[in-house]
Amino acid sequence: MAGLSRRTILTAAAASPVVLRHARGETPIKIGMPVALTGPAGEIGTQMRHGAEFWAKETNAAGGILGRPIELIIQDTTGDPATCVRKAQDVVERDGCRLLFGMTLSSEALAVVPKLGEWNAIFMSSDNGDGRLTGSSFVPNFFRANISGPMETRVISLWLRQGKLGKFFALGMDYAWGHNSIGVFQDEVKRAGKTFVGDVYSPIGTKDFSTYITKIRQSGADGCFLVLQGDDNAAFLSQARDYRLQDKVQLITSIVDLNSIHAVGDAAIGLAGSTRYVATIDNPKNQAFVAAWQKQYNALPDVFEGEQYQACKMLQAGIEEAKSIDADKLRPALESAKIDSIKGPVAMRACDHQAVQGGYIVKVVKKDGAKFPVPEIVTTFPGDQVTPACRQMTFDS
Amino acid sequence: MRMTIAVAVLLALLPLGLPPYAMTLLTEALIMALFAMSLDLMVGYARLISFGHAAAYGLGAYTCGNILLHTDIPLPFAVLMAGVFSGVVAIGVAWVCTLATGVSFSMLTLAFGQLLYAVAFKWTSVTGASDGLAGIPRTKGPFGTAFFGTKTGFYYLTMACLFGSFLFARAVVRSPFGAVLRGIRENEAKTLSLGYNTRLYKIAVVAMSYMLGGLAGALYAPFAGFANTELLFWLLSGQVLIMVIVGGTGTLVGPILGAVFFLLVQQQLSTYTDSWALVFGAIFILFVLFVPDGIMGLARRRRAH
Repeated sequence: MAGLSRRTILTAAAASPVVLRHARGETPIKIGMPVALTGPAGEIGTQMRHGAEFWAKETNAAGGILGRPIELIIQDTTGDPATCVRKAQDVVERDGCRLLFGMTLSSEALAVVPKLGEWNAIFMSSDNGDGRLTGSSFVPNFFRANISGPMETRVISLWLRQGKLGKFFALGMDYAWGHNSIGVFQDEVKRAGKTFVGDVYSPIGTKDFSTYITKIRQSGADGCFLVLQGDDNAAFLSQARDYRLQDKVQLITSIVDLNSIHAVGDAAIGLAGSTRYVATIDNPKNQAFVAAWQKQYNALPDVFEGEQYQACKMLQAGIEEAKSIDADKLRPALESAKIDSIKGPVAMRACDHQAVQGGYIVKVVKKDGAKFPVPEIVTTFPGDQVTPACRQMTFDS
Repeated sequence: MRMTIAVAVLLALLPLGLPPYAMTLLTEALIMALFAMSLDLMVGYARLISFGHAAAYGLGAYTCGNILLHTDIPLPFAVLMAGVFSGVVAIGVAWVCTLATGVSFSMLTLAFGQLLYAVAFKWTSVTGASDGLAGIPRTKGPFGTAFFGTKTGFYYLTMACLFGSFLFARAVVRSPFGAVLRGIRENEAKTLSLGYNTRLYKIAVVAMSYMLGGLAGALYAPFAGFANTELLFWLLSGQVLIMVIVGGTGTLVGPILGAVFFLLVQQQLSTYTDSWALVFGAIFILFVLFVPDGIMGLARRRRAH
């Protein structure tokens, strides 16, 4: 069983001397976090929890927000949208949360966002990829601090325009994020004057990818775009290595994360793709974050840990500006929120609540002395090139 | 009858004093109660044990979800239409399943349930596949009233559906039709030899059971604002069968209590441990071993003393 129960966390928050010293008598700011701690997306959800807990601890040690301590109420959704709706309803109605983090899968977020208005709650997303959340399914109480699926796909396509690969196949997880990202990719490939030869989707939790690998080989593509994450990603990469797929096809993935690299080891070498966050980003803010993180967890922060930390900072900036957590006051403050993030300047956009930020292309390389292969930044693209027009999922140029 | 009215009055007064969270729980409990009661029609009165009753629930939920998403039909009518639709589909299902009896019948219901589950995974335009149907609205009406869309209003709608269905089901089981069903339960061959076409009776009761089960699913869709393939999964079929058995089969009231009991235990235990199902499994085993006639049996024995 992964994860602390709600009660443990409540007790921990109450017993923490830090909370008592800095914010005696102040009512805590409660943030509900229904997140997938078990199931195929459990690894991602666990990263999100780490990111939020790290931020809460750090912020509470510095006196909280508006002098109020932060209290996280974490619930396991198992990655099922129906359970996610129920857990979100629980933290809102039972625990009185008006601020939400979490909802690991886009399908979970899409199920929850229609309810935000009724609950009068603000949801700050740190990992939801589906473009519809800031497009056709937009609701005023939803904010996305992270890079979306269409954005990471755009980063890849901008990079591919400079390269010599010409024929592409795509493999994605069979749910909202996979379909959305591959749709955008297909569109981008055609615009670049290259060929898209086909796509295939694997159900969430797939363990045997042999039939998919055969399809990729038979397609005759020289590049394969992957929209996989968590356990599925690790399973695919190690099997692709067994089939020597990498010798024939350049694998390009929408998220390069440490977890998959650690799971498959050298099988990840040569993998290229976009990433939402990587610990080697070169700026003082990030260096300080990575150092503090290593001190606490004795590991480098992974993609969703960095992204969650950024989302937390974005919410914090909004609350400090609004001096309130009331949705009607917080919403306008968040709409103009700008932070100096671990990824550099990140600004929330009022028209669709998408945070404008740059994107990274990394390549996994073997480094002397390091136990695992490491992702190295190949190139970066600025926010104005990778963020789609307001409430759009595709790009015009 | 006096008991029914007393309970109805009590339930009707509850929204006045309960916080929103308890209202949400209670509404869900009533929906589950309706679902469990619908299965009791088959299991308790005709001994038709279904391992695929989630099919009725899911059918109702997806039908109602699509009606609400794509039309302006008032909420109560959409719910009723989805229930009826589920019942109509059941005629075909029952026609096939009743070709077999006993365990084979149960296996066929399970197969049909899993078939629907597989279809729902692939039929993206209607079911949204693994993403499900999100943002199912509570439409206005009838006569433009938004009352049934509110928390309290929706609770009353659910309550009305449960009591309406209960009175309907009770009338059915007390009628001569119900007597034939009991005849099938006790000795189908004898009932057949008395001149009753038992298969037609069985098809009819399955259709009624699916209709009420579909009604429950139809309520769930706008309750959660969401429907996905979990609602068609065999796990739910198993859970509802447990509710019926723990509550007491062939009593209608028992499964209602069983469902409320199940949800309360789940709600309380899941705050402490993620392995709540383990505890409930133990409770279920104890019931089967020591109280095979369920909560209702316990209550009856107490009264007899």
